[in-house]
Amino acid sequence: MLKIENIDQNDHIVLQLKGEIDASNSVDLDAAIQEMLNKGAKKILVDCAQLEYISSAGLGVFMSYLEEFQEKDVQIVIFGLLEKVHQVFVILGLDKLITIKTTQQDALEAML
Amino acid sequence: MFKLLSPNIGKVSLLIAILSWLALLFVDITRIFGMLNQIESGVAPEVSYILQVAFFIMVYLFFNYSITRNERNEFLNLIWRGASTGLLALAISLLIRGFYGLLGDSTLANDPLMRNFFYHVNFALISLFLISCTLLWKRLILYQKSKKVVQQWQAFEILLLVSMFFVFFNQNTLDYSFIFGLVFITVFSISLSINLKWIPYLTFKEKWKSILFFSIILVSASYLFIQVLSYSDVEQIPVNLTDNLLLIGLFIFVFIYSLFSFLVTLFNLPTSSVFEQKLIEAINFQRLSQSIKPGENENQVLDILIDSSMSASYADAGWLEILDDEDNLSVLQFRFIEKNTLKELKDILVQSTAYPQDATQKREDDSKSVQIKINHNTYKSALVTALYINQKLMGRLVLVKEVKDGFNKEMVNIISTFVGQACISVENYRLLNEAIKNERYKEELEIAQRVQESLLPDKLHHDESFEISAFSAAADEVGGDYYETKQLDEHRFALIIGDVSGKGTSAAFNMSQMKGVFHSLVQTHPKPKDFIVLANNALGQCLEKNHFITTSYYVLDTVNKTIAYSRAGHCPTLFYKHHTQEADYLSIDGMGLGILRNHLYENYVHEKTFHFDTGDVLVLITDGIVEAKDNRGEEFGYERLRKVVQQHAGLNSQQIQDIIIKEVYKFIGKNTIADDDYSLMVVKFK
Repeated sequence: MLKIENIDQNDHIVLQLKGEIDASNSVDLDAAIQEMLNKGAKKILVDCAQLEYISSAGLGVFMSYLEEFQEKDVQIVIFGLLEKVHQVFVILGLDKLITIKTTQQDALEAML
Repeated sequence: MFKLLSPNIGKVSLLIAILSWLALLFVDITRIFGMLNQIESGVAPEVSYILQVAFFIMVYLFFNYSITRNERNEFLNLIWRGASTGLLALAISLLIRGFYGLLGDSTLANDPLMRNFFYHVNFALISLFLISCTLLWKRLILYQKSKKVVQQWQAFEILLLVSMFFVFFNQNTLDYSFIFGLVFITVFSISLSINLKWIPYLTFKEKWKSILFFSIILVSASYLFIQVLSYSDVEQIPVNLTDNLLLIGLFIFVFIYSLFSFLVTLFNLPTSSVFEQKLIEAINFQRLSQSIKPGENENQVLDILIDSSMSASYADAGWLEILDDEDNLSVLQFRFIEKNTLKELKDILVQSTAYPQDATQKREDDSKSVQIKINHNTYKSALVTALYINQKLMGRLVLVKEVKDGFNKEMVNIISTFVGQACISVENYRLLNEAIKNERYKEELEIAQRVQESLLPDKLHHDESFEISAFSAAADEVGGDYYETKQLDEHRFALIIGDVSGKGTSAAFNMSQMKGVFHSLVQTHPKPKDFIVLANNALGQCLEKNHFITTSYYVLDTVNKTIAYSRAGHCPTLFYKHHTQEADYLSIDGMGLGILRNHLYENYVHEKTFHFDTGDVLVLITDGIVEAKDNRGEEFGYERLRKVVQQHAGLNSQQIQDIIIKEVYKFIGKNTIADDDYSLMVVKFK
């Protein structure tokens, strides 16, 4: 089960992910990110405080947009990761390519 | 001997019948000669009676044989045979009478020999007519027979047989026993004559024909009967053959049955179209229920559906709308209606409140048909029946009539049944097609499975300084885990374990690419970091944008007792040190293959080397092991694995592996990890 919510704030969008991301619903995450890019979002905060699990397919979605983020000068920061989920990002090495912060405040500050 | 005779029973009986008739004629002529010349011929009447009985029996056998043998025993054909025989007997009898009328009062007219001859001809023809009719009626009576009717008929035949010999007792005089016999036969005939089950199966036209034939039979029988009665008083006939109880009894039977059939057929005429209609409906129903054969399509069933529904309800026009892929109803078939009239009617129907507005909505009530009054120049009523497949609307059958309230309850019922049957046929057809398709997919998946199994090695390279064992299981038919070994030179070995993102067939394809990359690169004996960087370059070219592969690559040197390794995003490897009796995960940074597809990637890859000693254990895993969940959603985790290995590190590699698998299964409470592939490789140093 995955619940995705978009919260528009002043100059950035908060993408709230709740539940689990696996192969079956990773397309929903993909669609949500694609939609934000289409809308021209430049600053994206991903709130993973209630994300309990992410499978390789879910990680693949983030990974597949890295290049596009760079090209379009989009900043993306993930925050609030549970330790277990954070480990997954770290093991894969994705933490080297995506900024990961503990709180929303830190995440906001990390964006220029 | 008997066998030789049996095929010719028809010919033999015919021959004997003719012979006995000739004998009868001869005996009587002898008598007349005797009378004329006042000589006692000395021939007793019993001789004639015996010959007569023989004649009857032979004629009976002959007709029995010829009717049974005849293949074309349709009812009308049978009745026609009776009618034609009657017509023949009638015609010849009339000819003889006409002949005598022409002769007037001449001497020839009074010649007893000639009169006797014609009497015998008439007798023979009457017998033929009556016996053949009796046997034809037998077939009609025994149509759809029950045991009771068969017994009744057999009793009747015995009665006829007895009556044949009756002549020996009463010499053909009209006494009480004769009348008693006649009454008996009459009662029997009436009770047999109620067996008229064949009549409803005649079509309207056939009924008219059979009425005609029966009237011929009735007229012939009546005339011949009067003729027979007239012989009773004629004195020139030495032995009366026609006042026989059997013949008179057969007259009664043939007449009664013909009369009954005639009347019942006549009264059946007005309702015959209803019966025909029901018969057609039954046949249509059968056609609908026969499943569609391979190579045909649903339209054939729908074609039969609209035609049979229209004929069952006497509809003036109709059409069939079928839901297409975009959930729009489109007209598939239409009958006796112009396209623009159809459109007019559709518009009128849509406005009607009774019309089911939402195409996809299933109506609550059981009856799927609605009758709607319409206000149209030509058509006044419509019957709309929905077609459902698997609780889902498939289409709609619309029938229209030029009269108001044109569809009665029976029509609605039969159409609902037709529609239901057609839906079942279409559904079965679709299910069958799906099953065939699934079967094909399954086969292809089995091929993929076999190919993939061949991708995992059956042999793991090692030397006497370490032992190695490995295990892998897939969640689906095919998985995305990969491990392999390769001996680089005498004392150096490459080990790899990998996990392809995603699951199933696409993961299996990527895994085979990984295997190709491994076998290409390993030939150059690369250092672990170089291997990872090169593999990333190679796989970056061919992996889909959102796919990646995690892997760990090891080079074991059994002489220097060193392990060099690099990790590409793969879950950490556990290393047990015999010296400290402790197991720990090797920590090294690294990034999955395919995540960063440019030269910057090598910045994120590292390489480490460490020493191993006797008794040390290396456990390579994929994340399926540590992410295995119990029923509360808790993961097996790295820590549990570490403890298991630490506890059992003294065993050999195979035993350690078995214990890990056993512990994982024990933890999750079943013998499979349902949602991920999982693999492990255990190396024990000696």
